[in-house]
Amino acid sequence: MTDFTMTRRHFGLLAAGVAASAAFPFSVRAAAGETAIAATFPGNWEDGYRTVLTPLVKEAGYDLTIAPSMAQDQLAKVMASPGNPPYDTLLMSPGQMAIALENDLIQKIDPSRLKNWGMLDPAFQGEYGPTVTIEVNGIAYNPDMVPKPKGYRDLFENPAYSGKVSWTGFASNTAVMAYTEMAKIFGSGPSDMAAVFKLFKDHPEHLKGVVDSTNHQMTLFQQGEIAVFMCSTGNVARLKSLGMNAEFVQPETGSPAAPVNIHLTKGAKNLDAAYAYMDAAISKAAQDALKMPPTEMFPTNKDVALTPEIEAYVTRDQLAKMVYPDWAEINKNRPDWIRQFDALVAG
Amino acid sequence: MKASGFPYVIPMLLLSVAFFATPLAVLVGFSFIGSEGATLANYIRFFGDAFNFRVLVNTARLGLETVVGTTLLGVPIALLYWHSGKTTRQVIIFLTLIPMLTSNVVRTFAWIVILGRQGPISETLMALGVTGSPTSLMFTELGLVMAMCQIDLPLIILPLIAILSRTPVQFSEAAQVSGAGPWRIFVTVLLPLMLPGLLAGWILVFASTSSSFVTQAVIGGARNVYVPQLIYREVGTLFDWPMASAIAVVLLLSTGCLLVAMTMISRHRRLVGHA
Repeated sequence: MTDFTMTRRHFGLLAAGVAASAAFPFSVRAAAGETAIAATFPGNWEDGYRTVLTPLVKEAGYDLTIAPSMAQDQLAKVMASPGNPPYDTLLMSPGQMAIALENDLIQKIDPSRLKNWGMLDPAFQGEYGPTVTIEVNGIAYNPDMVPKPKGYRDLFENPAYSGKVSWTGFASNTAVMAYTEMAKIFGSGPSDMAAVFKLFKDHPEHLKGVVDSTNHQMTLFQQGEIAVFMCSTGNVARLKSLGMNAEFVQPETGSPAAPVNIHLTKGAKNLDAAYAYMDAAISKAAQDALKMPPTEMFPTNKDVALTPEIEAYVTRDQLAKMVYPDWAEINKNRPDWIRQFDALVAG
Repeated sequence: MKASGFPYVIPMLLLSVAFFATPLAVLVGFSFIGSEGATLANYIRFFGDAFNFRVLVNTARLGLETVVGTTLLGVPIALLYWHSGKTTRQVIIFLTLIPMLTSNVVRTFAWIVILGRQGPISETLMALGVTGSPTSLMFTELGLVMAMCQIDLPLIILPLIAILSRTPVQFSEAAQVSGAGPWRIFVTVLLPLMLPGLLAGWILVFASTSSSFVTQAVIGGARNVYVPQLIYREVGTLFDWPMASAIAVVLLLSTGCLLVAMTMISRHRRLVGHA
């Protein structure tokens, strides 16, 4: 048998071959069209957008990469690489959008590039991107473990909820909207957070269930560790789809709501693909699919009829009556609230 | 004349400078940035807040508790390996490595089930009559230390096994023949022999535990705050990178001090002198 000796020339040729073969799929992909890198929220959003939008964007001749990331994390990552954003589009509520605008991270869109733009109500046609859904917030509860809560006050005054309610910190949009509502109920107005902090001090049993995010709360809910948490309708739809006995209740003082928008990042490299993704997200085909379980997203496309399940949460007429927080005021106070709440929770 | 080996070290030096020293220098540089140029304000703000100092102490305590826990669990397993035959050794190695092939995130979420109200710990305590109602160890430091001990156990077992594999079993037999009891054999013969492995394990376990963001956040909840969560909050929520860098530098220095202390203890003459 002939011995084989690896020379430097052989090694060089081999390395070049490996590099060329590794690069081949990318060159083929580049020839086929652009790929939009779209940041979406993890969990339900990630699954829904990947499943429903990828084929629609493909039909338009582009690829789509769904990158799961919380809105605050999206901001942090885009800020970390100015001029070279890791995402072509961002998915955000008005609170984060205000920060993105302040830091010059997003750009105005050209609506003429979106075929489905006219299908949106004018309220959903933002100059910085379309609104793809309205997240309606409230209280999730397990009917096997606790009675139906009337609202935030009930959670603190009815002993049936003692030790069974979970909260998150002020970094979460869902939490901050609940806390501003509680500040109205227990204090002098939405920014009177001292009243909310006092409430938690007076009810230390509520501090035991404070965790980092709504995603953790959903895991704990599944395990029977908690029975109540502040949520969006999407969280409850997801839990139901997993076979959990979870119900959504609108607080008696009103449901806080937040539009969710797709934004184009400043310096986005794949503009055509990004527009194709945006257009797919507001299309009838996509929203008809995303309104079904387990996502049950409220459709912003006028041609999409609401399902009975979504109408049980909120109807189109009720949208105007939802509570839309003052995000400028929240953003101004948020860092201080975060630090104060963390110190309070840690005791 | 023997050729100098220095040229062969150059690639490694360049890599270290590019991927370790430079990012570290950037991190340190960032920590001194203020609104009006170079400043110590971030450090002053960090140490001026008693909450931050308590978080730092909590993080060090969590690391040390896990080091103690993994040592108490890991040493007997390593000694069992040392005294066992080939098959048992293979089983021990297999059982040690398998968890390492599973993601920390998965193992962390498995601990939610174990530590929860309906988990095996709670049910065992109730069956034994220790508790009258379901008990949850979630969001407690005890629960977190238990989870961290399981997750980081291989980090102490493997260095110990590496050391003991090179040590003939006859060492302990010779001490036994000389009249030493099991405890004396352990303290005067085995412990000094295992010390380098223990030291390596302690360093790995301490560093891994004190920086384990996911497990700390999920099992510890928001009530038990540790330094990695503080850094994440500054970067991801408050976007205050200079402050996050200052906290990271403080964590690095405090961890470094503890590791130096561990090294000095392990090199103490009275400990090593017996070996």
